Amino acid sequence: MAKFILNGKPMTADVESDTPLLWVIRDELDMTGTKFGCGIGTCGACTVHVGGRATRSCITPISSVEGAEITTIEGLSEKGDHPLQISWQKLQVPQCGYCQSGQIMQAAALLKDIPEPSDKDIDAVMGGNLCRCMTYVRIRGAIHEAANAIKENNDEQNA
Amino acid sequence: MLKRIVYGVCGAAIVGLGIFSIYAWHPAIDPVVPTQTDYSPQVIEQGKILAAAGYCSTCHTPPGGTAYAGNYEMHTDFGTIYSSNITPDLETGIGGWSQAAFARAMRTGVSRDGHHLLPAFPFEHFNKMTDDDINAIYAYIMTSVPAVNQVKKDNGIPFPLNIRWFQAGWKLLFADTQAFEVNSKQSAEWNRGAYLAEGIAHCGACHTPRNALGGEKYDQMYQGAAIDGWIAPSLTSTSTSPIPWRAQDFYEYLTTGNSPYHGSAAGPMAPVMHKGLSALPDSDIEAISGYFAEIARTNNTDDPDSSSTLQAAIAAQHQQPDQRIDEGARLYATACQACHYNSDQLVKGRPLITIGSATHLNDPTNLINVILDGVRSDQGISGVVMPGFRDALSDEDITAIAAYLRQAAGENTWPKLQQQVGEIRNQPRFEH
Amino acid sequence: MSRMPKRGSAGITRRGFLIAMTAVGVSFGFPRHLMAAMDPASPDGKVLPSEGDIYEPSLWYSIDTAGKIKVNIMRSEMGQHVGTAIARILADELEASWDDIEIIHVDSDPRWGYMVTGGSWSISQSWPVYRQAGAAGRTALIEAAAKKWGIAAKDCKASNGKIISSKGELSYGELVTMGLTRQFTEEELKTLPLKPNADLKLVGQQVTSLDIANKTNGKTIFGIDAKVDGMVYANPILPPTRYGSKVVKFDDSAAKAVKGYQQTIVLDDASGSVPGWLMVIASSFNAAQKASKLVKVTWDAGKTANVSEADIIAHGKQLLGDQTKGSILDTGNTDTGPVFASAKSTIAEEYITSTVLHAQMEPLNALVFKNQDGIWEVHSGCQWQSLTLPVLATALGEEEANIVIRSYMLGGGFGRRLNGDYTIPAALTSKALGGKPVKMVMIRPQDMLFDSARSASVQQLKMAFDDKKAVTAMEHHATAGWPTQVLAPGFMPKGTNGEPFDPFSIAGADHWYTVGAQKVRAVSNDLAIATFRPGWLRSVGPGWTGWAVESFMDEAAHHAGKDPLQFRLDMLIAEGRNAGSTPVAEGGAARQAAVLKKAAEMIGWGTPQAKDTALGIASTFGQERDMPTWVSCAVQVHVDKSNGIVNVQKLYIAIDAGIIVDPNGAEAQCQGAALWGLSMALYEGTELLNGQYKDSNFDTYTPLRLGQTPEVKIEFIPSKMPPSGLGEPAVTPVAPAIANAIYNAVGVRLRKIPMKPSDVKNALTKA
Repeated sequence: MAKFILNGKPMTADVESDTPLLWVIRDELDMTGTKFGCGIGTCGACTVHVGGRATRSCITPISSVEGAEITTIEGLSEKGDHPLQISWQKLQVPQCGYCQSGQIMQAAALLKDIPEPSDKDIDAVMGGNLCRCMTYVRIRGAIHEAANAIKENNDEQNA
Repeated sequence: MLKRIVYGVCGAAIVGLGIFSIYAWHPAIDPVVPTQTDYSPQVIEQGKILAAAGYCSTCHTPPGGTAYAGNYEMHTDFGTIYSSNITPDLETGIGGWSQAAFARAMRTGVSRDGHHLLPAFPFEHFNKMTDDDINAIYAYIMTSVPAVNQVKKDNGIPFPLNIRWFQAGWKLLFADTQAFEVNSKQSAEWNRGAYLAEGIAHCGACHTPRNALGGEKYDQMYQGAAIDGWIAPSLTSTSTSPIPWRAQDFYEYLTTGNSPYHGSAAGPMAPVMHKGLSALPDSDIEAISGYFAEIARTNNTDDPDSSSTLQAAIAAQHQQPDQRIDEGARLYATACQACHYNSDQLVKGRPLITIGSATHLNDPTNLINVILDGVRSDQGISGVVMPGFRDALSDEDITAIAAYLRQAAGENTWPKLQQQVGEIRNQPRFEH
Repeated sequence: MSRMPKRGSAGITRRGFLIAMTAVGVSFGFPRHLMAAMDPASPDGKVLPSEGDIYEPSLWYSIDTAGKIKVNIMRSEMGQHVGTAIARILADELEASWDDIEIIHVDSDPRWGYMVTGGSWSISQSWPVYRQAGAAGRTALIEAAAKKWGIAAKDCKASNGKIISSKGELSYGELVTMGLTRQFTEEELKTLPLKPNADLKLVGQQVTSLDIANKTNGKTIFGIDAKVDGMVYANPILPPTRYGSKVVKFDDSAAKAVKGYQQTIVLDDASGSVPGWLMVIASSFNAAQKASKLVKVTWDAGKTANVSEADIIAHGKQLLGDQTKGSILDTGNTDTGPVFASAKSTIAEEYITSTVLHAQMEPLNALVFKNQDGIWEVHSGCQWQSLTLPVLATALGEEEANIVIRSYMLGGGFGRRLNGDYTIPAALTSKALGGKPVKMVMIRPQDMLFDSARSASVQQLKMAFDDKKAVTAMEHHATAGWPTQVLAPGFMPKGTNGEPFDPFSIAGADHWYTVGAQKVRAVSNDLAIATFRPGWLRSVGPGWTGWAVESFMDEAAHHAGKDPLQFRLDMLIAEGRNAGSTPVAEGGAARQAAVLKKAAEMIGWGTPQAKDTALGIASTFGQERDMPTWVSCAVQVHVDKSNGIVNVQKLYIAIDAGIIVDPNGAEAQCQGAALWGLSMALYEGTELLNGQYKDSNFDTYTPLRLGQTPEVKIEFIPSKMPPSGLGEPAVTPVAPAIANAIYNAVGVRLRKIPMKPSDVKNALTKA
């Protein structure tokens, strides 16, 4: 019986210990916002946060996240209003939308570590997230937009 | 590791079977029903801390099994061996052991019934401990560990290697039987660190190279060795780590499972710090850290953040070869970089692999192990994981990534890397 | 893709599509529809119930007593925000308030007519239909209000969800509450006055697409998310060849150790979609895919087990060498022979494109079961319901009327889901289990190996010049595996020699340049078709014909000693067949000339560049002559001679697609399409190796990633012409623009895509 915290709530799942976290989230816990893309950690569609860090859930066995805190796109913000979700909507980043949960989760982890990323930083950290609709131009723009929004918000609070 | 030890046993046996047979014999100590239960809470607590710091449970508990009940499985080319049940069960554990029998086992590796324990049990280190500390562990086990009736599985070591008194010769040849001696030239803190590291924490059991017959080479103490399918890196000035280990780095590593300048505690090292040393008070971790910094001869006032090594490594990330002509760079950018890239400052939790100790070892084992099996939430930084690529990437892919990192780290290529990746993939996996 | 046969030829015509999609339709109310459809703006896609009675002026929408308008969208949503764009067209003509609009993606009920989402057709085809439908509603609402007020209809005006007159205002909801039944015949509809294009208020304005929000919070439901009670999971085992493999025996003893494993079955497929397949059934996805790796299967492999990419290319060359093969297109004067014979000079070159995989992000999947009413329900993203239904019917041995394809969002289409073959294994498995719900999710390697790839192509182009180096004739011979021949042969028109051709595999070769005598010959590569199932992939044929034509135009310009831009402009003469006849194509070659000039202006054509850096330009007309989207690409490229790395620094697109309904969505489509063009030019491509695609996952298959994305600029030519399409066209001029720039930068000509660093380096070494 695997135990972990999902979006702030304690969860248990009665699955084989080698079951990837992705399928526990999607099929056992019915949260389908996290997507299956390649199954080998090379496309980023399955990205969630484990302990606050972006993690490819398709190659993370459930046994390795015992006790860990996991956040999925459904838990990134209470009302879907994380600065990245807002900038994603404002710039209308998604096309088919399939990779976007992973893109947003990866970008959220990026901004935590590198709050004012350069284009090069974005290229490097987002390089593992494929978008077959090739929304890359807007992904880049929306990350800058969210970074600015977060900075302005912080500046206001500090003023 | 054990393979080498078993060779040693074999060799020792051939050399001196007759000579050592008398030496080898130890009497059984009669079983007792321990009656003393009135240990002071302080003594029991002290024993609990020491039992943790010696990570006794790591080797005496199988994955998912009951603590201290034994049957932790260790694979060797000569067969599988199992650890003993050290719960206070009268029949199958050590419930019938007197304090003297326990102390004899801890100091000389001889079981209550007189048979020799395999040298996987690091009695030479425990021998450095004070009587009070050994007795405290005894008190803790006898009073606080629940008794579990579980028969130890038979070791799969074939005759004649299974004749345990062959061990006796080995002990005479290689075991350090010296008690711990205070070094008056060093501070009390250093001596405390040395006492813990050499004794209960038995750091040398993994980090000191062993001779062909499996004995620790005391003249090369802490210079690094292979253990359980991993490399325990050198802790001395022979370390290949590009950024020196300062006392504060050892401290951060031992308290959080990770040093941003060196890497994460994975493999057999993970339980050492998460299940072991974490039980010790801060002052003891500081003492151990100071002890090793002194051994590594590092300057604790150096600032790694301003070191040219780190600056160069950070800058090198921004000058990667084009993914179209460097397969390793492409796969690294695809599968690794999202978590391992750093902008202009090193962020803890974004291990910069090109300065990581695994990349700079002369042996690729640690790097390949981590790529294959990742780092669990109870390893490295607590609650954070790295996924494993065992079922995701081919030997070719992993070889390309490792070769790229090795080159980016400014080191010579690892010879026969792809063959090694295949071998490391297929070596027995130790559950830690 | 979309050149339809002319009237009278076999198959469903383009006009047939339009007739099938009338504005009238027949309404039966929506009890089943509510269960079957999906609203991409509501949580989990559930359609909200209507308030009170509803009024349906046409098949395509309803208005409830609260004034909420549900717009029925029969196009699949796969990133185009097609529902939003179509609803904008309707709402504008209806004078509805945008806040009242809900969009509903409907199931495959026959009343919607011919259901296909591809060819960049959706907006162009929906434009007249939804405008007529909107006009019908507006007319009915005005009539009702006028009657209520006792005044003439001409004294009433519709605006923002209300009818307004000197007597006051009545909201659409109030009018529906009063009871509205007015229906229109097809003839009446045609006579209804539409708003002048200049008065359109919503069309052309910025809007946030209705599907966007759910795509940022994980609430969008894709096919892979479909779930019903009691379903089992199935994972396929694919045979060694696409066709002709037979299962000799299998051994699942190792799979039995997997917890949750149930059984393995060999599929018996009357539709021929999945010959030689086995399905592994288990209680979870993980168990099914784990077990499928453990089942040992022995096959008799099909005949193509040894066919590789080089064989397909060699066969293509052989076919082109035989002038009796293939179909000749009607391009006016096709008698090029005498012109070439008397030409002062000629040039001839050969161009090759590699096999390309769709690699859409959502792996292929389908959930199939027989419901309580005995209807087979197929839950899966699908681009061509009307093509998939008959195949399902054959496989299941059922009437099409007893099968319904439920609507889901598509995690990428790009043409892969035009071919619905991936629904068949799930359907057959459900059938074998007595109609039990079976969910099949392919793992990535299965998805890729089962792809209907873009076929490799070989093209040979010739041009004749007179003594002044003016162009006097041109020939274009092209061969590839034809998807339409395999999947929808009814869509194949006949050429002037009576031979059928796949219009989607040759469009683009029949370009708008005036070149004198012009011969275009399309040849089906039968070895390709035997080895794999070619598919329509974003931009289809123009993806390779554009590569050849526009590379060749630069080569011709250099031969003629002219500036490549001016050389093209001189031949873009809007006369004769190049004047443009259909409403969408009106303006013809002059509009293509305009986008060329625009792209040149954007990039600063003619400005000096740094060393080993140059500009390149190319222009195409998107997908087909009767629905052209005029597009030009200008790039700035640097070539590193030391290693052959081509670095595209600027990627600019000028485009004329008529009226732009949804400017933001249109820009997004063009950005994505242009980057697809870049990806196929420099980064992605696979090859056949022993009967299968060599690459099966993203460790070796390498589409463009974010770090490889250059500066992209898209500019639209303002237009009041009817809209054409935007999903594909910007793909097509990118590769030749890059090849032309490489030539301008370092003097080497590359004639095969993808252009890899090793190709560039080899060419530089030879030069």
